[in-house]
Amino acid sequence: MKSPLLGEFHPPNGKPHMLGSIQRIETPMHRFSEGEEVDYVIVGVGAGGGVLLQRLARAGFHVIGFDAGPFWDTERDWVSDEKGAHNLYWNDLRITGGKHPLAFGANNCGKGVGGGTVHWASFTPRLHPSDFRIHSTDGVGVDWPISYSDLKPYYELMELELPVSGPSYYPWGDPHGYPYGPHPMGGVGDALIRGCTKLGIGVSAGGPVAILNGSRGDRPHCIYRGFCIQGCKVGAKASTLITHVPDAIENGAEIRPNCMVSRIHVGGDRRVLGISYFDSEGRERFQKAKAVVVAGYSIETPRLLLNSACPGFERGLANSSDCVGRYLMAQAGNVVLGRFEELVRMYKAPPAHALTEEFYETDPKRGFARGFAIQTVGPLPMAFARQMMTAKGAWGWGMRSVMMDYNHWASFGFLGEILPHAENRVQLAEEKDRLGIPIAKATFNLYDNDQKLIEYGKNKTMEVMWAAGATEVVQEARYAHLVGAARMGNDPETSVVDQFGRTHDIANLFICDGSIMPTQGSANPGLTIMALAARTADYLIREGNEVFTSHKPNDQKPPMRRDLSPPDTWGHGMPRI
Amino acid sequence: MRAPAENADTRPVDPHTGKPIGPMAQPGYYPRFSTLGQQKFWDAKTREVVLDRVNNVPVIRFFSPQDARLLNAVCNRVLPQDDRDESHKIPIVPQIDKRLYENSHDGYQYEDMPPDREAYRLGLQAIEEIAQHRYGSGFLKISLREQDEILRSLHDGKPSAANEIWKRMPVHRFWMLLVSDCTDAYYSHPWAWDEIGFGGPAYPRAYMRLEHGEAETWEVKEKRYDWKAPDISVSGEFEQVAGHSDHPSSPGNGGTL
Repeated sequence: MKSPLLGEFHPPNGKPHMLGSIQRIETPMHRFSEGEEVDYVIVGVGAGGGVLLQRLARAGFHVIGFDAGPFWDTERDWVSDEKGAHNLYWNDLRITGGKHPLAFGANNCGKGVGGGTVHWASFTPRLHPSDFRIHSTDGVGVDWPISYSDLKPYYELMELELPVSGPSYYPWGDPHGYPYGPHPMGGVGDALIRGCTKLGIGVSAGGPVAILNGSRGDRPHCIYRGFCIQGCKVGAKASTLITHVPDAIENGAEIRPNCMVSRIHVGGDRRVLGISYFDSEGRERFQKAKAVVVAGYSIETPRLLLNSACPGFERGLANSSDCVGRYLMAQAGNVVLGRFEELVRMYKAPPAHALTEEFYETDPKRGFARGFAIQTVGPLPMAFARQMMTAKGAWGWGMRSVMMDYNHWASFGFLGEILPHAENRVQLAEEKDRLGIPIAKATFNLYDNDQKLIEYGKNKTMEVMWAAGATEVVQEARYAHLVGAARMGNDPETSVVDQFGRTHDIANLFICDGSIMPTQGSANPGLTIMALAARTADYLIREGNEVFTSHKPNDQKPPMRRDLSPPDTWGHGMPRI
Repeated sequence: MRAPAENADTRPVDPHTGKPIGPMAQPGYYPRFSTLGQQKFWDAKTREVVLDRVNNVPVIRFFSPQDARLLNAVCNRVLPQDDRDESHKIPIVPQIDKRLYENSHDGYQYEDMPPDREAYRLGLQAIEEIAQHRYGSGFLKISLREQDEILRSLHDGKPSAANEIWKRMPVHRFWMLLVSDCTDAYYSHPWAWDEIGFGGPAYPRAYMRLEHGEAETWEVKEKRYDWKAPDISVSGEFEQVAGHSDHPSSPGNGGTL
């Protein structure tokens, strides 16, 4: 056997905190002293919290980011191994029910600095302009309090900060181009392109994904190892852990990892005072803050607000509308699997590398509102075996047999818009976690439009797989992503936060994560969560100390602060189309 | 107790000659492919985690010896390994036991399900009850065919006994729990990667041949052979569980967040 070029691979000497194969944290992190009041506490350092933390720190605020999970050292903590990646996910217990119960954990929830961006496949499409007004145009769901044009500059900004690789002309929604070029294809992408092309369906090859196809600064390019959702040890796939947290620390932010926030405290003047949390040793502590931002995503955010109920806020914080926990959404995420006579080896290349949004918009001929996308996915053996169990009913020798054909299968993910429903919600369960905090219970049901859309989209995705040349096509129903459960809106009677993430009920309490999205489109939500976070940051920074004292929200749009991007954002990529 | 490896008719069969296949060190279509043979090219942490899985099989701490024996017999049918020689069988029960002992799970529990520990306790009890009901004997004492028949009835959602238990725990959810625990244990093992031709860890070294199913220089080309399940087994042929694929019961891991 040949030896590795640089010798056998050992951990780097001296053990600095590594965030990839090259990137490391050089600066010692600032630590606020016990009892010191900070400007902002951010609960959860994921897609939204990570971007906001970086912005606020750069603007000079004293800010602490709490995360219930570890501050990953990617060389020390992460592995190229499906089973070994288990600790990246939010594995604390939740109860899931309803007629169509959602799966959590690996499916959609991260725990640790970087949150879900640590294990996202990193498809980063934008929402379409139509997504912001589906009630007006389709008579379903609800309109957003903002339009696509409000978010567009933030999309462009985030596409540079991550950055996003993709085609130079992306035809759907608001057509645009990507700053980094598309990735080479793997076997699954080839199948999607082949199937779509045969049926005359447009397809985007090689992106948009937040994965580097060329090195940039201290981040190397993708090596196509396929373990994207097990955490990118290379540092090629963007996560806020490596794109925004280092700059936040550089600018004086503190991260408190392994700290579970249990309660937000409100004072007599109906303003938040700070938070209680359990530190890494399980001791309960208090952190005083002038303002609190909850960024725990669609399950933990409502859980914390509900668990913070107190006199004056008996139904939970920011819940005068009774909307906290309601309008929880997941996207339909059926996996369609096709067997090919020829080998595919779908474990190579990122799971996310080609998609079509040809069916994204409402088509009255289809008999339902809204639409779907079709994307590549690349399950590794453990996930694929589970899919064969449900999609084919395989077990015993049948399981052994179909698994021996693993390299002959390709898989597509159908990503369909499920509409917001008040009864799809997060509540508190009877059970408590190991710290004694009541856990979340989610209830999820599909409604008529959702079921019609899933049926159509599933069949269309299977049709593409057949057209690609598969000799057998099966599918598994599942859901992908989460959003909603603390939605934004102009009306305090029907929404939890305003367009900037400020809760209607408490002037110095904000939400900055996917839970504020009123609808979800058929785009993976990560980029939108980050764009919203950058917009919330601009708002908070423009408001300055007003946030800490004023009871009267300012609803004027803030100017965009391009100067707050992490270093090296500018001077790359394409001009705007 | 039976010793399946010694018993020719528990092994899969060459459909052309009718002769049993194995036992062998490495079944599958990728002869002599060894992911572990590439471990020098893995990063240190991955090497540590994967080698620990291979070398340090956890001791049984959660199940009683009796339950462990029963679960072992169940897992031998849910994921049969009669084509593997004794020294190359992949441990299943120790991994399930470890998970339950540590109370580790996927981060959610179905509203209509008890916690996993209780689910296994109930599930094993139900399997025993069905064996007594159908065959008048314990699961360990009935034939492999009869064992398979009981498991097929769980797969089909039509267990013939233990109704009290299935009122507390939907049979299809227990089935999914059991099968996915078995497949997790088996397909997280590098010997299974060799069997199915999965390249395994590839950091810091890259994959470079991404298209057309081409093998890396260190991977092995596919060399297929025909085989079918032994006649004694019913698990070689299966039908999609009616309706289940439209109820996401599987804690799938193929997210596209």
